Amino acid sequence: MSIELAGIHKQFGSFAALKNINLTVPTGELVALLGPSGSGKTTLLRIIAGLEQADQGSILFHGQDTSHYEVQQRQVGFVFQHYALFRHMTVFENVAFGLNVRPKNLRPSAKVIEEKVHQLLSLVRLDGFAGRYPSQLSGGQRQRVALARALAVEPQVLLLDEPFGALDAKVRKELRRWLRQLHDELHITSVFVTHDQEEALDVADRIVILNQGQIEQMGTPEEVYEQPKNAFVYNFLGNVNLFRGRIQQGRVRIGSLEIEAPEYAHHDDSGSIISYVRPYNLEIERSGHGQEYFRAKIVHIRAVGPTAFLELKREDTAELIEAELLKERYRELNLKIGETVFVKPKDLKIFLEDYCI
Amino acid sequence: MLKQLLQKKHSILPGFGLTLGFTLFYLGLIVLVPLSTIFLKTLGLSVQQIWAIATEPRLVASYKLSLGASLAAAALNAVFGLIVAWVLVRYQFPGKKIIDGLVDLPFALPTAVAGITLTTLFAPNGWIGQYFAAAGIKVAFSPLGVVIALTFISLPFVVRMVQPILQSLDQEVEEAAACLGANRWQTFVKIIFPELLPALLTGFALAFARALGEYGSVVFISGNMPMQTEITPLLIMIKLEQYDYTGASVVAAVMLVASFLLLFLINILQWWSSTRHA
Repeated sequence: MSIELAGIHKQFGSFAALKNINLTVPTGELVALLGPSGSGKTTLLRIIAGLEQADQGSILFHGQDTSHYEVQQRQVGFVFQHYALFRHMTVFENVAFGLNVRPKNLRPSAKVIEEKVHQLLSLVRLDGFAGRYPSQLSGGQRQRVALARALAVEPQVLLLDEPFGALDAKVRKELRRWLRQLHDELHITSVFVTHDQEEALDVADRIVILNQGQIEQMGTPEEVYEQPKNAFVYNFLGNVNLFRGRIQQGRVRIGSLEIEAPEYAHHDDSGSIISYVRPYNLEIERSGHGQEYFRAKIVHIRAVGPTAFLELKREDTAELIEAELLKERYRELNLKIGETVFVKPKDLKIFLEDYCI
Repeated sequence: MLKQLLQKKHSILPGFGLTLGFTLFYLGLIVLVPLSTIFLKTLGLSVQQIWAIATEPRLVASYKLSLGASLAAAALNAVFGLIVAWVLVRYQFPGKKIIDGLVDLPFALPTAVAGITLTTLFAPNGWIGQYFAAAGIKVAFSPLGVVIALTFISLPFVVRMVQPILQSLDQEVEEAAACLGANRWQTFVKIIFPELLPALLTGFALAFARALGEYGSVVFISGNMPMQTEITPLLIMIKLEQYDYTGASVVAAVMLVASFLLLFLINILQWWSSTRHA
């Protein structure tokens, strides 16, 4: 079941939460709506579910316009950040709820419901928990119950609103891997909202990056990570160091640093630019000369695990930057706090200031 | 044993001993001492004598009226109080604050004033009573009038108990039910109502207890006809006026035991409805 959104617009008072959103979710894909808080991602998800009405635009499920369908008719499974379990019902009753509220002629027999519930509970690895109440479960278990409950009605699409947002880091990681596995088994078209880029990159087939009610970029995790369309996307996906500078006839000047920027060679005017470098693209040397290096003082070292993280203070602009280097290289250089090193940025992404946010 | 108690680890919250001591002293002074005097007064009588006084036909008729009318009033308020609370929490409309304030009025109004007003309204020649009279229904000076007076004075309990619970209900839970295909009625019956039930029962119990002890407003509207519209508190007054203190305390003891048992029952119900999903 594919989902198509065309020209969705939503206004809350004077605040435009969503501006002309066009988006297609192909059948069977797992799509992440990624963005900072206030970007409109949850609103968009709620509009797809029918919990919120769009002011303009249409929503098509498998080519059929569902914009004016009630929530109950849309056959969506919705998983809430804070689980929204029915706390006066057991796990079994929670999962069976969607089947039990069907009109008599569509309701499966009690035996079929029981089988189905137990099947779902074993799918979410909660066999033996049927008789418990939600308050007797951990956060991760509750969210799995919520997922089983949503799946019980055999929804056409599964929508998840920050499903792992309220869980601690370890459980979150475990559950998102498991969600991916589950999706590969069931192939149900799914959309999930997250503000955690790592989560989106890790799980999704496709990522939609939202900012201020607009789509900044969509694509596979590789596409959005490797070829960010603009400064916002680059900045949002992973750690970056930001350098402000000026460009003139294809040469970028950032503090004492001067780099060729062939892609802007024909850009006549001089202007301000913002450039980003990922921490692992900063090369650290004991000695260096030329304009492709700048000098920086080591402020802090964290050398736990296979990579060493350095915090450096640039000598020319006094800005703090982060660098990441392999443990071997770090040992080889024998770096100490307070030492001055030469830093060479590789793979600098340059965005003209007016394209930035 | 005592040593163990004294050597108990200190709680993080200070003042446990002091506050507990005060609580027990206060409750003892204000509640237990007056109540136990009632039973002390009856001690001079034999069981047969007590039984004879407690089962006088006039008294039995009053028990029926007091219990029946109080239950009816509490039940009426459970239904309509729930609706009032629902409207006050769920919808926005002009004058909402005023209506919200009106709910407490029966608390503030002297009960005698309420009784006189209700009697004037519902008497056969009163504003409202005349229409009932035309239909052949007697409101004031009948058990129906008693129910109306008791409903009036016990209105705030259910509303005020249910309101905060309704306010704190999680919107997402209802949305989850809707996504699963439940219509509004199913959502109310299966999701919202079970959450409200403990508060509703508490409200019901309080309204019932308040109605059972009510005197001031009822004596005006009931007409106080022996065997018909006499409530039990009135009979206690009558006995006191006749200097029959032992008789009065027997009736009071019966009332006390009856209301204690009923409240106990309701508390059990309430406990059951709130802990089965612990």
